[in-house]
Amino acid sequence: MKRTLFIIKITFTLLVLALAILPVILSSHPWPEASRDYLYEHALTDTGAVNTVSSIYLGYRAMDTLGETLVLLVSITGTMGILINLGRESEEEEAVSFSLAPEKRPTNAQRTHLLEVVSSKLGPVVLLFGFYVMLYGHISPGGGFQGGVIVASAIVFLALGTETQTKLTNTNVLGRIEALSFLVLIIAATSGVFFESGFFGNPIKSGSSLSANFIILLNIIIGLKVGTSIAVMCIAMMGGRRGH
Amino acid sequence: MTFLLLSMILALGSFALLSKDLLHSVIALSALSMLSALMFTILKAPDVAITEAAVGAGVSTIIFVWAIRHTRRRSKD
Repeated sequence: MKRTLFIIKITFTLLVLALAILPVILSSHPWPEASRDYLYEHALTDTGAVNTVSSIYLGYRAMDTLGETLVLLVSITGTMGILINLGRESEEEEAVSFSLAPEKRPTNAQRTHLLEVVSSKLGPVVLLFGFYVMLYGHISPGGGFQGGVIVASAIVFLALGTETQTKLTNTNVLGRIEALSFLVLIIAATSGVFFESGFFGNPIKSGSSLSANFIILLNIIIGLKVGTSIAVMCIAMMGGRRGH
Repeated sequence: MTFLLLSMILALGSFALLSKDLLHSVIALSALSMLSALMFTILKAPDVAITEAAVGAGVSTIIFVWAIRHTRRRSKD
């Protein structure tokens, strides 16, 4: 009985999927080419970025990137709000301090010797690669968000692997970097208004030697914002609770 | 190559759905992310591939493992 029900479910799912994909396969309508050709000709001169993807999401559609950053900010705020109240039983107990203190190490079941050795060696390399992806987002594939996530995983590696707590794995410092970079992002987004180039317009007029300067700036800000916020969330998840 | 990758992705996805052990499912999802990152690279979308590899195989695995540690690992039935 259970098995037939399962087979019916699978068949129904495949049927619905096939019905959804069928128009795409059967359609003889040609792919829209107008915007592709426009971007191929104008993206480099409009924004100065060789990588067309980053010229779209930080040049033409920078508003969407601001929305994505806001979504990430709200979700991290919600997660931290849940995690702060998770560990305490009563109201009198003080809020949990999110840090991977050395005395918590033996109680943490995830921390094994192999993990410490590998992740402490791997962390700095991954951190360097993350900053490379972030800073060269206008030339090579990558960008602020991707580099930020790689930086976040490097910070998690370092938090798991290193013996002493450094500034890089301190959640207070990381949270301040996140707030500051979001403030700078808002300032950079509105600064174009005062220099006659519109919201998210480049305030620095073209003619300077570095044509993609505004995209590089936005990449750095977004990378720092994404990296520190995800790192704060992961460190808070791994080391937040006491006695577990 | 594409067919091989797609069938492996399908197999890993069904394993993640059907497995009774949630930790095995998470590792299968992580491997699925790596394979789809390879797939995106073949389809000439390296930006998406970097995002998929970093988010799917890195950060989401950490979050899932944390969630499993604080709940039950094995499925009931």
